[in-house]
Amino acid sequence: MVNSMVQTPKGKEGDTLAPKTLEAALASLAQEGAIPYAGGTDLMVAEDERRPFLFLHNIAELQGFSEDDEYYRLGAGLTYTRIMNDKRMPALLVEAASQIAAPAIRNAGTIGGNIANASPKADSALVLVATDSLVRLVSAAGERVIPIGQFLVGRQKTTRRPDELLVEILMPKRWLADYRFTKVGGRKALAISRVSFAGLFAAESGVIQHLALAFGAVEDTIVRRPQIDGLLIGKSVEEARALSEEWLAAWDAAITPLRGRVSARYRKQVCLNLAAAFLKSRLESTD
Amino acid sequence: MRCEIEFTLNGATTQWAGEAGRKLLDVLRDEFALVGVKCGCREGECGACSVLMDGVLVNSCLVAMGRLQGCEVLTIEGYRLTERFKVLDRALANRSAVQCGYCIPGMVLAAEALLAACPRPSDAEVRRGLSGNLCRCTGYNAIAGAILDASKEGEGLW
Repeated sequence: MVNSMVQTPKGKEGDTLAPKTLEAALASLAQEGAIPYAGGTDLMVAEDERRPFLFLHNIAELQGFSEDDEYYRLGAGLTYTRIMNDKRMPALLVEAASQIAAPAIRNAGTIGGNIANASPKADSALVLVATDSLVRLVSAAGERVIPIGQFLVGRQKTTRRPDELLVEILMPKRWLADYRFTKVGGRKALAISRVSFAGLFAAESGVIQHLALAFGAVEDTIVRRPQIDGLLIGKSVEEARALSEEWLAAWDAAITPLRGRVSARYRKQVCLNLAAAFLKSRLESTD
Repeated sequence: MRCEIEFTLNGATTQWAGEAGRKLLDVLRDEFALVGVKCGCREGECGACSVLMDGVLVNSCLVAMGRLQGCEVLTIEGYRLTERFKVLDRALANRSAVQCGYCIPGMVLAAEALLAACPRPSDAEVRRGLSGNLCRCTGYNAIAGAILDASKEGEGLW
């Protein structure tokens, strides 16, 4: 911070305001404790023009998209609009992105920012939690790849160190074929989720191979409980039907909604309705 | 954190120095007197402050000045000099689509962004294109209708 008061960063090549390379950005982060600025759509709501922003839009590594056998690899700086307009993107993520805010926000807001801002109502983060995605954090000292559940640890709280940058998201491809995304909002656009839901399901020969539910906007972090969904994995449709009340009761016990603009009771009931409806529809279609 | 930047504002190369975190909205209105850029909510909820940044619709209340180095910013004051604006202007007038008018500069730029990407939109596409722009007077129907009119009358412009 002291550095930034002494010199005025100029908006020219190789500067510290909007570095053109990841290395330069990481060097700035290591020294100055700057605030990474991706799309600005969350950061700029706060009225504090003196913050030491580090503008990330010029860094090519944050704009990439590729896939291998196992993962979709999304640059953290991809905007929602870019995600929506790229036919290679996973449909679940496109569906969530297209329901975020409105065009002007989607043009600026990024998937990395949506995660790093660590709102429990973040719709693309919900998808990444439901899919057990990984995040790649890079610093001048090295890098680490961690499950998103270990990154998002509280309301506006992540395990990112100040010298680290969220560079890439790795979304596993394996269980994406059959999904449901539901955003419960007060209006069609510019809605902040009252409850958001993502569910993944897979069955083979009548046996459940995968079940993953995630709920947004109900607690301080997005809720995902693999051990609860695990009750039904490996079970036949009939067994799953017999266990479904136990499964739903476990979700009932696991979710402790906060009272926000809508009541905790409403949030809880909507979560359970969404969970029950999702399971029912998948068991029926598996029969 | 202070910065010095150079960007293009309504076609003119412009130097600016100040806090990098200052809102583009405030600079446009308070320093460049571009008061066609309206301030409604300062948090990206209303779209009244919409501008085009490198041809892309953004809320100027959510853009920090430091982001603008090398960018082109177009406000309603610059856009109104174009042929496309004249078509939209006429279409809005013909439908009496403007009441208090506060949302209209943002609406017009949202319409431009939509038509540039999709010259012959459906009614649903128009409404989606305007979905970040709130209007408390008109109920939207006249505005959406005017944009559909403009898309037909402006054949070849978009």
